[in-house]
Amino acid sequence: MATMAKPLNERDIPRRPNIATADVQLPAVKDYEQVDREITGTLHPTAAWFIGLGVAIFFLVVGAGAWTYQIYSGLGVAGYNPPVMWGVYIITFVFWVGIGHAGTLISAILYLFRAGFRTTIYRCAEAMTVFAVMTAGLFPILHLGRPWKFFWRIPYPNWRYIWPQFKSPLVWDVFAILTYLTVSATFLYVGLIPDIAVLRDREKNPVRRRIFGALSLGWRNSDREWRHFARAYLFLAAFSTPLVLSVHSVVSFDFAMALTPGWHTTIFPPYFVAGAIYSGIGMVFTIIIPLRKWFGLKHYVTINHLDAAAKLCLFTSLVVGCAYMNEWFVAWYSGSEFEKAFFANRIWGQWWWASVILYTCNMVLPLSLFRQSWRRNPTWLFILSFFINLGMWFERFVIVVPSLSHEFEPWQWTGYTPTWVDFAILAGSFGWFSMWFLLFIKQLPVIALTEVKEIIPPKLRRRHDLGIDSSGSHLEFESATPGEFD
Amino acid sequence: MPGVIAAFRELDAAVDAIEALKKEKLGEITVYTPTPRHEIEHAIDAGPSPVRRFTLFGGLFGATCGYWIAVWISDYWPLVVGGKPIASWVPYTIFGFEVMVLFGALSTVLGLFINSRVPRLTMTVGYDPRFSGGDYGVWVECAPERAAAAESLLRSHGAVEVHGER
Repeated sequence: MATMAKPLNERDIPRRPNIATADVQLPAVKDYEQVDREITGTLHPTAAWFIGLGVAIFFLVVGAGAWTYQIYSGLGVAGYNPPVMWGVYIITFVFWVGIGHAGTLISAILYLFRAGFRTTIYRCAEAMTVFAVMTAGLFPILHLGRPWKFFWRIPYPNWRYIWPQFKSPLVWDVFAILTYLTVSATFLYVGLIPDIAVLRDREKNPVRRRIFGALSLGWRNSDREWRHFARAYLFLAAFSTPLVLSVHSVVSFDFAMALTPGWHTTIFPPYFVAGAIYSGIGMVFTIIIPLRKWFGLKHYVTINHLDAAAKLCLFTSLVVGCAYMNEWFVAWYSGSEFEKAFFANRIWGQWWWASVILYTCNMVLPLSLFRQSWRRNPTWLFILSFFINLGMWFERFVIVVPSLSHEFEPWQWTGYTPTWVDFAILAGSFGWFSMWFLLFIKQLPVIALTEVKEIIPPKLRRRHDLGIDSSGSHLEFESATPGEFD
Repeated sequence: MPGVIAAFRELDAAVDAIEALKKEKLGEITVYTPTPRHEIEHAIDAGPSPVRRFTLFGGLFGATCGYWIAVWISDYWPLVVGGKPIASWVPYTIFGFEVMVLFGALSTVLGLFINSRVPRLTMTVGYDPRFSGGDYGVWVECAPERAAAAESLLRSHGAVEVHGER
């Protein structure tokens, strides 16, 4: 049957066509020298940067002080209320591991998919990953009554002749997190080597020049080096892709392997991975939107880049929303009275307020990104990113606390109130993460110099007449579209 | 080994010069380029990188180690649970996978370093800092008596600067 399509009139024509994520270009970046000049120009510390670093270190000191107090006084000061023996520390551990996922998604998975919009944002995201995993790794140690014995989780020959229990998800976690930290740090460093070589070649200060020389390992941009680099980078991306999916799956096993209502479900691995990517993209917005403004890099991280990242954010929020609905369905369909009672308590019981925050931030607000004008509005994306971070922290709160406080035995049902020590250590984790990130952005380029050079047209004697470049990079760009650079 | 280094401003000029040098067989060529370009890769035509073998063997070794650690330790310190195997391959697949990724990634980086011959303590003769900026460098390793021919060829293809090095 033929369809009767209404002809488009003037008002139905989209205000701006959708830009394919693979075709995001940098029309205002003309040559390689401009790339080096503008991006390395962001490396000079400013007064605002010193203030920001001071604030980050202040929060870190507050957190460290609270931890010292906890070690001195015992874990009782942390607000644990049996049987709720997992609280803010484990919630924040899962939160930071999740933040770390978007970096590898953007740098590795989108690299394999040849998504062009990743080029100018992946370095920030990758650094964010490494620092977020470094932060996350602290929390299981903070959670220990005797944190100095954390290395008992690592299998090594010892005088006690005892070994970790390899069927325990907590040991799986140790392997997964340490592997993820090592591989993501390696991936970040390998990608930085050619950029550090650029810094070495432009540096005037002899001491810094020697440091950059050592860090760049004597890299000299030869065809031999690039050939092996390209192959190695591809394989690192190929390893990182399943790794990123496995790490949060393993973190989800910490919960799913238990019989506790609300935890014992097979949808946890994909649910955790989608949530992790969603929260990580939220943090990328929190970081990249101020950076592009303060560093004057709006013509590198254009509105088209933000638009493409916002689509990814929307997609992952839909997956997460689907997982939430699936949880309700599984609870109802399971026929388990404990499971049904637990979910009723989660939504209508003592934790209703946490569920409202969770569903509003993660399911409702991201729906605004269906509208193109909101996706292309950096101010809204920045505001939304805070809601995403908040919502994803509460997602982990809703997973951890309500389940433990409402298990099988009604006489065990209880509440949970975090103490000032919990909040101080939570604030300290943000200070720790921000300190590393702020140090990074003033020492090393926040945008990958060599990868940006790959996507801008090279200098040519002849245009197209030899057809030496079929990538499309040589096509004349349209003049800057209104709103392109904010 | 002495040779001639030429700096090019334009990519197509450098590509033309590489093709002409290969045709004349004036000597071994090394190209310095600020960013990897397929045009230069095709002109050099160096064949596939052996880094993939490091990746393969590192990954296989890692997977073996991951399973082995868990199985050996379970056997050495058995935790007997009724009806359950002492060494259970299903959960140990997590260790097999994680250690495979770890060793595979690290051996890939090792392969990159060995094949690229980094770290290096001194810069190669002929390297110029502008080759990490915007210019392309073409180094031809040749005997002094052939240097004049190489210089002339490079200039004719648009090199902005050519000089001999030893």
